[in-house]
Amino acid sequence: MVAPALRAQLESSFGERITTPFTDLGRRVGETVSTGIAALDARTGGLLRGAITEIYGGASSGKTSMMLSILAAAMTRDEACALVDGHDSFSPGMHSGKFLWVRCHNVTQALKSTDLLLQGGGFGVVALDVSDLDAKALQEVPLSTWFRFQRSIEKTPTILTIVSRMGIAKTCASLAIRAASDFEFEDRLLAHSVTMAEIVRLRFNPGLKPGFKNVCFNFYPSLSGSIARP
Amino acid sequence: MFASIFIPHFQVQSLARNEPELSGKAIAVVHSDAGDPALQKVVEANVAAVQSGVEPGMTRLRLQHFPGVTIRQRSVAQENSAHAALLDCAGGFSPRVEDAAHDTVVIDLEGLDRLFGSYAVIADQLYDQTILLGLQPNVAVAANPDAAICASRGFEGTRVIPRGMERKQLASIPLALLTAEQPFLETMFRWGLHTFDDFAALPPVKISERLGQAGVRLHTLARGASARPLDPHMEPLRFEETMELDDAIAMLEPLRFVLSRLVDQICHRLRMRHRATHEVHVHLDAYERVLQLPMPVCDSKMIVELLMLDLESHPPKAAVTRVSVEAIPAKPRAVQNGLFVPLSPEPEKLEVTLARIAHVVGKGNVGSPEVLDTHRPDAFRVSRFDSMKPATATAPSFPSLALRRFRPPLEATVKLSNGAPRWIAFQGFFGPVTTASGPWKSSGEWWQQDHWAREEWDVRVGTQKGSMLFRVYCDPNNGRWFAEGVYD
Repeated sequence: MVAPALRAQLESSFGERITTPFTDLGRRVGETVSTGIAALDARTGGLLRGAITEIYGGASSGKTSMMLSILAAAMTRDEACALVDGHDSFSPGMHSGKFLWVRCHNVTQALKSTDLLLQGGGFGVVALDVSDLDAKALQEVPLSTWFRFQRSIEKTPTILTIVSRMGIAKTCASLAIRAASDFEFEDRLLAHSVTMAEIVRLRFNPGLKPGFKNVCFNFYPSLSGSIARP
Repeated sequence: MFASIFIPHFQVQSLARNEPELSGKAIAVVHSDAGDPALQKVVEANVAAVQSGVEPGMTRLRLQHFPGVTIRQRSVAQENSAHAALLDCAGGFSPRVEDAAHDTVVIDLEGLDRLFGSYAVIADQLYDQTILLGLQPNVAVAANPDAAICASRGFEGTRVIPRGMERKQLASIPLALLTAEQPFLETMFRWGLHTFDDFAALPPVKISERLGQAGVRLHTLARGASARPLDPHMEPLRFEETMELDDAIAMLEPLRFVLSRLVDQICHRLRMRHRATHEVHVHLDAYERVLQLPMPVCDSKMIVELLMLDLESHPPKAAVTRVSVEAIPAKPRAVQNGLFVPLSPEPEKLEVTLARIAHVVGKGNVGSPEVLDTHRPDAFRVSRFDSMKPATATAPSFPSLALRRFRPPLEATVKLSNGAPRWIAFQGFFGPVTTASGPWKSSGEWWQQDHWAREEWDVRVGTQKGSMLFRVYCDPNNGRWFAEGVYD
C-alpha cells in the first residue's frame, strides 16, 4: 500500500479521537519565548514552548547563568517556574514570586520530581539542573525517560530546560546549546564573564543551521548578597 | 408547610451507610450497656433480619442460629455522624430546621416552593439527597411539624398531605407510631383502638377526663391538628465522620478505603451546605494528623490523596480501630479565570503534586526560597509555594553571573603569595590561581554565639580544560579556608 493511502486509512480509523495525527505535526508552528538574553534570542528565535531545551557545558561555562536568565525572563512574564536542583547548589537571590525550588540530592529524586511537575502541568518553565550529579548515574538514565518528559510537555506551554555537564537528552531536545566561558578582570576586579554558546541542535527553526551558530554574550557579577564589594 | 425526613431502622442504616457492601443484607445491631460481648442483645434489626426471624432483645448467642444475618455492634459515633449528615441535608434546603429526634428532622418549607417547585418536587429532592448520604428515608410534607413527623413515620417513600387533609391521611397509621409510652399503648389496645383514626374519633373531653393533658396532646397529634411552632436547630456547623472497625487495621492501604468513604461523605455534606474546607483533622484512635490546605477545597479524591501522603510520611504507631475525620468548614473559593491570566498550575492539582514531591525529597526541600533579612551568607528559608502570588520579579537590567554553591562549603588548602591565594586544592580538585580578586571582608552577628566573619576571594584557577572561577573564603577566627561555590 502506498504511503498516502496508508496515511489516509490510519487518519480515518483514528476518527475523532486524534484529529489529523500526521498533518498537524508537520505544519505546527510553535510559540517561542525569550531567554532573557537578547543575543541568544536573536540567533535562536527564543525557546519553543512544549519542547525540551538543553544547555550543557563544564564548570564555569555559563550554563547556570543561562538557566537562571531563562527562569527570570519567565517570571517577569508572571509565569510559574520550577527549578529541580539536582545537587542543592542553587543560590537564592533575586528569584521571587511564583518560583518553586525542589532541592534534590540524587538522580532518582531529580527525575521523579521533574516527572511529577511535568505531569501536574501549569508551569511556564521547569528547569532540571543535573550538572553536579554523578555522571555515571546520568548516563544510565534510559533515553525513554527524556522521551517521556518530551511527550509530557508536548502540546502544553511548558518549557523543560535541562542543564548538565554533557548532553544527555540527545534527540529529545529541540534546542541544544553547548556553553563555554572565560572571565574578564579589570584592576583585579571581576568585570564580567564572556560566554560562548554553540547551538548544537535547533529543530524548530529550520532557517538556522546548527553547528555554525556561535553566539557570544556577557554575564555580569550581581551585587545582591554581597555587601563588601564595590 | 413542613417536611419531615425520617430514617427507619436508624441504627442499622447509620452502620450500613459507610459499608455499601451491606446493602440489601439482613443486619442486626447488638449492644450491651455493660460492654460485655457475652451480654450483647439485639437492639435493632432491619426488615430483612426481622423476616429471617430476628427479634429485638435476642442475645448474640441466639443470633448464631441465623447464619444469613450480619451482626454489627452499635456505634454511637456513627449514629451521630449520620444524624449530623441528616441535618446537613435538611440545611441545604432551608435554614429553618428542627432536630426532632436522632432519626428525624423537620424542615420549614415556607417560601421554598418558589425556589424548588411544588411540595411534591421538594419531597422528591429531599428523598434523593438523603439517598446520596447513604440513608434510605421516608419523607412527608404536611401543614404542621407534628403531622409531617407522624406521616413520615407511617408512610414509606414520599407523601404530601394537602392542607386540611391531615386527619384523613393519617387515619390508617398504626397507633404504636404515635408514642413509645407502653402504658398508654396498652390502654389503647385494651380499648380496642389500633389506628390514629380509632383514637382521633374519641371525644377530646372524655380523653382529658381519663388520660389527662398528655392524652389530649396525643389526641391532637392523632388528628393532625397540632399547632406548635418549629424549634430551629441553631448549633454551629460541624463536619465529622467516624467509623468504628470490628477488626483493627495495621496497613495503610486498607486505611485508604476507610478514609475515602469518610471523606466522600464529608465532601458531600460540605457541598450540601455550600461549603469547602481548608483544614482536615484525622483521628486514628488517639493519633491525630492535621492537614492544612492553602485554599478551601471540596474535592474528596484530592483530600484523600493528601491525607495518604501525609500518613505515609507519618504513619500511626499502632493498628487502628477507630477512624474519625473532621473538616473545618470555610467559604468555597470563587475564582473567575480571565482569558489572559498568566500560566500557573491549578491550586488543587498543585497541592497534590507538591505533597508527592515532598514525599520524595523531604518536606523542607520543596517550596519557594526566601532570602532572610541578614548579611549572613546563604541565609534563606524555604516557604510554601504559592501559585497565586503576584509577580514581584522584574527583568534584570543585565544578565547576571550565577554562583553554584557547595553545601556545606568544602574545606580547602590554599597557598598564599603576598597575602593572596596562589594555589588551591579541595575535594580532589587542585590548580594554580591565575587571578585572585579580594579580599572582601565581612562579618556579622557578633552579639550572638554563632557570629561569623570571612575574607572572600574570587579566584580563577587555570586547568588543562580551561579556567574556572571559584568563590573561596578564609575564616579569620581560625585561618581555615573554604570553597563556597563556583561561578557558572
